Amino acid sequence: MIEVAALTKRYGPTTAVDGLTFTARAGAVTGFLGPNGAGKSTTMRVVVGLERPTSGTATVDGRRYADLPAPLRTVGVMLDARSVHPGRTAFRHLTALARTHGIGRARVDEVIGMTGLESVAGRRAGTFSLGMGQRLGIAAALLGDPGTLVLDEPVNGLDPDGVLWVRRLVRDLAAEGRAVLLSSHLMHELALCADRVVVIGRGRLLADAPVAELAADGSLEDAYLRLTAGAVEYQGRAVGEAGTTAVGGAR
Amino acid sequence: MGGVPATATARRARPARDPRPRGVTLGRVVASEADKLTSLRSTGWLALATVAAAAATAWGLGMFARPEPGASGAPIAVAGAVLSQLGFLVLGARTGADEYRSGTARSTFAAVPRRLPVLAGQALVTAAAALVVAVIALGAAVAATAGLRAAAGLALDVTDPETARLLAGFVLHQTGVALVGLGLGALVRRPDAALVAGVLALVVLDHLLATNPGRVADTARALLPGAGARVLLDDGRLDALAAGSLGPHPGPWSGYLVLAAWAAALLAAAAYRLRRGDVT
Repeated sequence: MIEVAALTKRYGPTTAVDGLTFTARAGAVTGFLGPNGAGKSTTMRVVVGLERPTSGTATVDGRRYADLPAPLRTVGVMLDARSVHPGRTAFRHLTALARTHGIGRARVDEVIGMTGLESVAGRRAGTFSLGMGQRLGIAAALLGDPGTLVLDEPVNGLDPDGVLWVRRLVRDLAAEGRAVLLSSHLMHELALCADRVVVIGRGRLLADAPVAELAADGSLEDAYLRLTAGAVEYQGRAVGEAGTTAVGGAR
Repeated sequence: MGGVPATATARRARPARDPRPRGVTLGRVVASEADKLTSLRSTGWLALATVAAAAATAWGLGMFARPEPGASGAPIAVAGAVLSQLGFLVLGARTGADEYRSGTARSTFAAVPRRLPVLAGQALVTAAAALVVAVIALGAAVAATAGLRAAAGLALDVTDPETARLLAGFVLHQTGVALVGLGLGALVRRPDAALVAGVLALVVLDHLLATNPGRVADTARALLPGAGARVLLDDGRLDALAAGSLGPHPGPWSGYLVLAAWAAALLAAAAYRLRRGDVT
């Protein structure tokens, strides 16, 4: 279970996360939503101890991530598919990670099998497509058989088959009693696999509710667009619309 | 990609009493770092190039050496250090900085959130790898200069203290340079910047200061990490250096201590940044 309480993260004058509080419960998939630059990835990086919070706390199973004796066995993390040295093979990348926790070769082979990477495990990660990189990231997250998973855009770049697989995977993980925090921009996908969604914009909490409740009058996408209307950081314009001021996007 | 297994992991039954700890230990982090270093094909190429540079430079410079017959052949054997030290600098800088450039740092520090064991592991593994490569490079240089030594009538007697110091000094200097590279790489987190800084500190600054000798410049030269190379200069060369310098005259071992202090200070600064800052 992940508990984020009054979390604030500033980089100099910029506030990336602003007093954010939410919980990702065990046995459920918590969708994490927000426009680009809303602070989702920053929040996830703070949860797994890569960044120090300016104030507030983030805990997993009641402990600060850095205080976990066996982090990989408690939390599986996939933050960015490009978290692998391009010159290292998928197998050796996973082995090196597994060694930090004394996880054996058998489990490395197991997660390679689970993510469908058998045929490319001996290839250097630099030759991987985005989708294969995502699978490798998910394999790394599953290494320690953790009770909590933090997945940042796991379906990004996956083929339709892979998207379906991730959907089933996270549902199964939650059904086994694990907590899954998953960010995505694919509303349709989240509507299918999340139990609850946390919506943030400009670092602040906009909504924290069950999917069914948010999507009660319309689709999850409608609800999301309504919630984030005033919090979109970067906004494109339609062709021919040049010159018009972006409504919510003025910085 | 088809044929993806759709089933998720099932919670595996764990042995009730597993004597081994389940979490992160320093030994495991060291094993992981060793695995990382050996799993890159470029490590092998770098080691090969470094050994070749040590042997080829020693042979090339040895052609122009005009020692007196009966002198020690050790200065010729270790002459390759001047070029091959760059290989050791790259070895260290790459280990320290590649983590960040490639994004591996995210995986690494999510697995070891206490962070400092990773730097300690990298230091141990870098030192061990540098030691092994330096011994091989020294062996190659000794072999490559065997003909030259024989022709000039130079002995290589390892029971002679000065010869022993030069040969051991070669290995120690290269190991120290690798650790300076690691400290720089882990501190600035960019391989290119770390390399430029390393080459400046080890080679370029010394030459720049040498063009303007004086008490200040000579003192600065004696305090640069390149002072570590004094451990592989014979007594004659050290005397010549002392005669031409208005600054302090560190002996071979105090010169090496200067290099060791640089390595320690850079690693401490890297540890401070790692401990206090963010990993992104």
